[in-house]
Amino acid sequence: MLMCRDLARIASDYIDGELGTGKVMSVKMHLLMCGRCRSFIGSLRASIELMNAHSSQQLDEDLVRRIDERVSESLNARHSGNDTSDP
Amino acid sequence: METTTHQSDDDILITGLKSGNQGAFREAVRLYTPGMMAVARFYLDHASAEEIVQDCWVTVIDAVQTFEGRSGLKTWLHRIVANRAKNHLRKTKREVNADFSEALDPDLAARFAPNGRWATPPSLKTNESAQALMENGALSDCLDRHLSALPETQRSALMLYEAHQHKSDDVCNILDVSASNLRVLLHRARQKIFLMVETFQETGEC
Repeated sequence: MLMCRDLARIASDYIDGELGTGKVMSVKMHLLMCGRCRSFIGSLRASIELMNAHSSQQLDEDLVRRIDERVSESLNARHSGNDTSDP
Repeated sequence: METTTHQSDDDILITGLKSGNQGAFREAVRLYTPGMMAVARFYLDHASAEEIVQDCWVTVIDAVQTFEGRSGLKTWLHRIVANRAKNHLRKTKREVNADFSEALDPDLAARFAPNGRWATPPSLKTNESAQALMENGALSDCLDRHLSALPETQRSALMLYEAHQHKSDDVCNILDVSASNLRVLLHRARQKIFLMVETFQETGEC
């Protein structure tokens, strides 16, 4: 029988739909009887949503600026190298 | 920042990149650099990862001419970074150091009784939406700190799978890990975030 600790171990696989049919059935059976594990699955889902809401805010502006500068230099070098207009 | 674009948006961007348009490059750099850094950091220290990602963008100026769109632009860029990072790792004779041995975080494992039932059950209240919770600046800062404290391998796996919405197969391919090892990395990272949010909600402290 699946115990709470076993369920905690495979909780992400359950959330992501990565478990086989038999395992999913035993998780569902366990969740029907166990409020604590239902709460854990709900909490883990909420944590994932929270992380997603958060990580979408991150951007290293300093790195982006350095990359822009290097790309810009390279593009300009190419443009002047390809310049076929009269000298 | 939105990291996934509609196909048509991607097409417009790719046309811009192929024609060497500076605006297109600026847009692509903002859009794709965080994901590229997540890939590079899986393999390398921060300074080397930044160097590799910068080099990749310069390489992309020419390489994008041969981009055929079989994979999305994001996946293509992430593969370029992964290949470069792996080469760099080989040259420096280092290895990725990751622990795939146990799916359960030790702090969570300690909350079960010997019979396998919860001894200290979860206490996180999930009635507020993620967006509403993120309006709490202190929680956002705390999440930052905990995300930074995750092992690089876990953080990269989490970023690519969640924030950059790669399929499992793509993440395994880019990070060179098996499907079961990816599951361990993801689950370990998620448990850490869960534990952090739970503590924050209970105590108001990070």
